[in-house]
Amino acid sequence: MSEILDLRALSWVVGGRKVADGAQLALHKGERLVIYGPNGAGKSTLLRLAAGVVGDRDGSDIAYMPQHPYMFRGSGRRNLLLGLEASESNRAEVLAKRLGVSNVLGTPAARLSGGERQRLALARTLASSRPIVALDEPLAAIDADDRDAVIAVVGDAIGDRASLLVTHDRDVVVAFADRVAVMIGGQIRQIGVAQEVLLDPGGDDVAEVLGHQNVLIGTVVRSEGPLVQVSCTGLMVWAIGAQAAGSDVRVTFGAEAVTLHTVAAGGPEAAKDSARNHWLGTVRTILETGRLVEVVADVGQPVAALITSGSMDGMGLQVDDKVALSVKATAARTVTAAKQ
Amino acid sequence: MGFLGEVLRDAFSYIADFGPELRAILALSLVVAGLATVIGVVVGVPFGVWLGLARFRGRGLLLALVNTGMGIPPVLAGLLLLVLLWNDGVLGSWEGLFTPGAMVAAQALLAMPIAAGVTAGAVRNLSGDAQEQLAALNVGAIRRGWIAGREVWPGVVAGVAAAFGRVIAEVGAVLIVGGNIEGETRVLTTAIVQEARQSNLGAALGLGIVLLAVALMVNIALTWAQLRGEARV
Repeated sequence: MSEILDLRALSWVVGGRKVADGAQLALHKGERLVIYGPNGAGKSTLLRLAAGVVGDRDGSDIAYMPQHPYMFRGSGRRNLLLGLEASESNRAEVLAKRLGVSNVLGTPAARLSGGERQRLALARTLASSRPIVALDEPLAAIDADDRDAVIAVVGDAIGDRASLLVTHDRDVVVAFADRVAVMIGGQIRQIGVAQEVLLDPGGDDVAEVLGHQNVLIGTVVRSEGPLVQVSCTGLMVWAIGAQAAGSDVRVTFGAEAVTLHTVAAGGPEAAKDSARNHWLGTVRTILETGRLVEVVADVGQPVAALITSGSMDGMGLQVDDKVALSVKATAARTVTAAKQ
Repeated sequence: MGFLGEVLRDAFSYIADFGPELRAILALSLVVAGLATVIGVVVGVPFGVWLGLARFRGRGLLLALVNTGMGIPPVLAGLLLLVLLWNDGVLGSWEGLFTPGAMVAAQALLAMPIAAGVTAGAVRNLSGDAQEQLAALNVGAIRRGWIAGREVWPGVVAGVAAAFGRVIAEVGAVLIVGGNIEGETRVLTTAIVQEARQSNLGAALGLGIVLLAVALMVNIALTWAQLRGEARV
C-alpha cells in the first residue's frame, strides 16, 4: 500500500520533553488508523501536527475535526456549511440528516447540545472532499445508545479515503480500526493490525491501557432475548447485542473473561456451568507476564485467555495441549462494524 | 441668580438658538469625526483581526506599538501631520494644511490604533476551542479573518465606539492641522477653546453640552446594537 501521510517527521517538544512523537507512524492509502491511548498521551497533539494547526506541516490535505468542535455565531446550518464548497455542502446536508441533526439547522448554534454540535461538526468534516479525514474523539459527546449508528455513518462517509482517528475508547478501535497505534507518554508504543494488538499487547504498559482483548469478526445468525449468536470464522459465539440477523459485527471480550479447562478434566460436554460459549482447541502460545499468564489457544481462530500463575501451575498446561475454553455470553459484546 | 446660573442660562439659550454658526460647527464636527472613524475602522479593524490571529516573530512588539498608538497624545499626531503637510514637507504639494481634509487625516491617525487594538484584543480573547476550529476550517486567510471578526463583532463595535469617542472629543490634532478657522475648520472642541478664551463661557458650555450629547447618542446606538448581538449570540 502506498503511503499517503508520513507522521514520522512530526514531533512536538514542550519543556525539553517530547509530548508527541509520530515515530514509526505512516498512514497508507485507504487505511483506517486509530491512535489509542489514555488522556494526556499526546494523541491530539499528533493529530494537530498532522492537520497543520500547530507546527510547520501544511495540513491542506486533511479534513480535521478538533476534540472540542466549536460552533460560531449563527445557525446550525451556517456552522454545518462553514468552509465547504457547493458540492460538499450537499453532502453535508445529507450527512446531517443521517446523523439526526437536520432538524436543528435553523437553531442558533449557541443553543445546541454537545451531541448536536459534535454531529454537525462530524457532518461538516466528513463532507469535505479532502483525501484524508482526521477525527479527534469523534464519539466523545455521543450518547451510548447512538454510538453504533454514528460510527456506521462515519465509516460510510469516509468510504475508501484514508483516515486517522484519535480515541481513548476501546470500542471505537474495535469497530473502526484497520490498524491501531497505542500512544503512551508522547510515544507510539505499539502499532499493528487492530485485532492483533488488541489480542496481544506488546508490553505491560500497553496491556494496562488496552487490556488483552479478543476481537472476532462475524455475522449475526439469530437473536435471542438480549443475546445474538454470531458466526465467526471457525466458531459460533453468543454475545450481548441487538443487531438483526445478517449484520456484520465484531465480537469483543477480554482475555480475563475466558475460562480454561483441561479436556481430560471433562471438556465442554461435561461442563455444567452457566457459560453459553464453549470451544475446543489447542494451546498455541503460553506467555508469562508478571503474575499473570496469557494463553493463546486456537479454537478455529486464536483466542487469548488470561489466568493466574497459580491456576497455570495447577493445570500444568503445555503448548499443543487440548483445552476447552468457555466465555459467558454476558461478558462478550457486539459492536457493529463500520462499513468500508 | 448666581454666576453659575447665568452661565447655564446662556449655554441653553445658545443651544436653543441653534444658529448658523453652531449648525456649521456641529456639521463639520460630525463629518470630520465620522469620516476619520470610518477610515480608522476600515483600516484598523482588519489589521486588528490579523494581529489577533497571526503568529509571527515580532507580533508582541507590534501589539505594544498599537497599544501605544491607542494612547498617543492628539497634539503629537497633529504635529506629525503638520510636519508632513508643511509647504516643504513630504505631502506639502497636497496643500491640505488647514483644511477639513487634514483634520480627517489627523483624526484617522488617532482612530486607527484604537480600532485595531480593541479588535485585536477581542480576537485574542477568542477561546482556544474557537481558535482551533478556525485553524481547522477549510478557508483562506481572508475568510478566516472575516469569520473571526464576525465572531467578536460586539468587541469590534466597542472599538468603533472608542475610536469615535476619542476623535470627536480631541482638540489637539484638529487645532494644529485645522487651524480653527471660523466657518472653515472650526469644530466643537476648537470652538470651545476659542469661546472659553474669549470669556464667552455660556457659548463654550453650550458647545460642550452639544459635544456630550453627540457622544452619548452615538454610544447609545452602538451599545444597543452590541446588547442585541449578545442576546442573539
